Amino acid sequence: MENNGRRKFLGVCLAGASAAAAAAAVYPVFRYLAPRSDQQGSNKVEFAESDLPAGEAKFFEYAGSSAVLVKTSAGAVVALSAVCTHLGCIVQWEKDKQDFLCPCHAGRYTPDGTVVSGPPPRPLAKIPVSVANGKITVG
Amino acid sequence: MALIKRLYNWLDLRIGAKEIVEQELTGYLLPRNINEWYSLGSVLLVIFTLQVVTGLLLLVYYVPDAEKAFKSVTYIMNELPYGWLIRLCHAVGSNMMVAVLIMHMLSTLFMKSYKSPRELNWLTGFLLFTLVQGISLTGYLLPWSQLSFWATTVATNSAAAIPVVGPYLVEFLRGSKLVGPATLGRFFALHVGVIPAVIAGLIGAHLFCLKRTGISTPPFGDQVETGSHWNPEHYRYESHPGGIPFFPNYALQDLTSIGVYFAVFLAVVFFAPNLLFTPDAFIPANAFQTPAHIKPEWYFLANYQTLKIFPSELLGLSVQAAAMTFLALLPFIDRSPERNPFKRPLFLVCFFGGFLLWVGLSVWGHYS
Repeated sequence: MENNGRRKFLGVCLAGASAAAAAAAVYPVFRYLAPRSDQQGSNKVEFAESDLPAGEAKFFEYAGSSAVLVKTSAGAVVALSAVCTHLGCIVQWEKDKQDFLCPCHAGRYTPDGTVVSGPPPRPLAKIPVSVANGKITVG
Repeated sequence: MALIKRLYNWLDLRIGAKEIVEQELTGYLLPRNINEWYSLGSVLLVIFTLQVVTGLLLLVYYVPDAEKAFKSVTYIMNELPYGWLIRLCHAVGSNMMVAVLIMHMLSTLFMKSYKSPRELNWLTGFLLFTLVQGISLTGYLLPWSQLSFWATTVATNSAAAIPVVGPYLVEFLRGSKLVGPATLGRFFALHVGVIPAVIAGLIGAHLFCLKRTGISTPPFGDQVETGSHWNPEHYRYESHPGGIPFFPNYALQDLTSIGVYFAVFLAVVFFAPNLLFTPDAFIPANAFQTPAHIKPEWYFLANYQTLKIFPSELLGLSVQAAAMTFLALLPFIDRSPERNPFKRPLFLVCFFGGFLLWVGLSVWGHYS
């Protein structure tokens, strides 16, 4: 009985030490491979207002993802995520139709990101944008 | 525990797990006088596995391009979380692999385990030794530092001493007249693809020979079996009836040796990380500026010094080639059935004399 108790105690100690060693080996590997938060791109992007004529769109990298800036024919400036809410493809601006088309499964969005047709379940995510002194500031 | 037992029974019903365990672990009997030196093969398997794992992790961020290689290694070392740990484990591990391999070969030599019928075990082991040197040499260039660039220049230049084809061989090795981006490309392919695959295959062949021949009995200690009982007319597996089981008895010795290895290995990684790096290892390669006193890695120092002491490089190379060929073919040259080194004074003198000569040349090479 005493022997069994000692054997069990040593077994538990060995299992604990092995688990600690495994964790000590796995943690650095996880940290090494994990995406880095400081490399997610800038959270504030500026453009000159003159770079974006009415009816045009400008694609750019924002916070580690793709975004798009649109100036509608009416002159309103909108910033949206360019990632389609269906399966994550990047939407394309159709200047002649003044809408966004996702080339993967033909999802269509209006210039303010609302779904017009196709499979996307949600509108394109909006990004805060302001225009002042001839500068467009996203974020 | 009950769950593990149930899982084990479930597996046994499907793949005969108990039979494998009985045959390969608990019923795999080893000589009663087996010693700790026999566990170095298991230590080497662990080191090789660790080199593969850390090498794959380094591949995630390393860029094999002469313009970007040094920067990518600096990024791994200085900016990635624990990148320094993974890179140091790989760099220190490669040196440890050579050191443990030399110990494994020395113990095999001393205990005469290379003798008939184990010629193939020795030959595959010897080939593994040269390939490990090759993988270390090719890996040395990859950080693209002054140290790696110029050490590779010196090492590849030695081949120029071979008559007629020497200069072309050097150019072929480098992919260009001098060490450059072309050299990095081919050394990278050799280091991460070709040589590891051949090493893995040879490890398989080495273990296959070990399993088919049976483990040798140490020529000293209790229950010594002196002389060779092997009959060259028939294949015979050298079994050890009444011996100790591999599991759990010798597996515990393997674990102990692996533990001791990790203590030494991690002590270098954590307390002497710069042991293997000279200041030139922290400067990017510059093809127009040779640093003073470039030396090869410690395990090539004896070769380096041998080349220097002979009046012609060809003679130096020939002496080394002869020594390596002699070592590779030793089981075919040394045919005496006596395996106890203490009953073979000439062998003892050659063994210790050869080892001291190698150490002496290495120390001389280091300080020359």
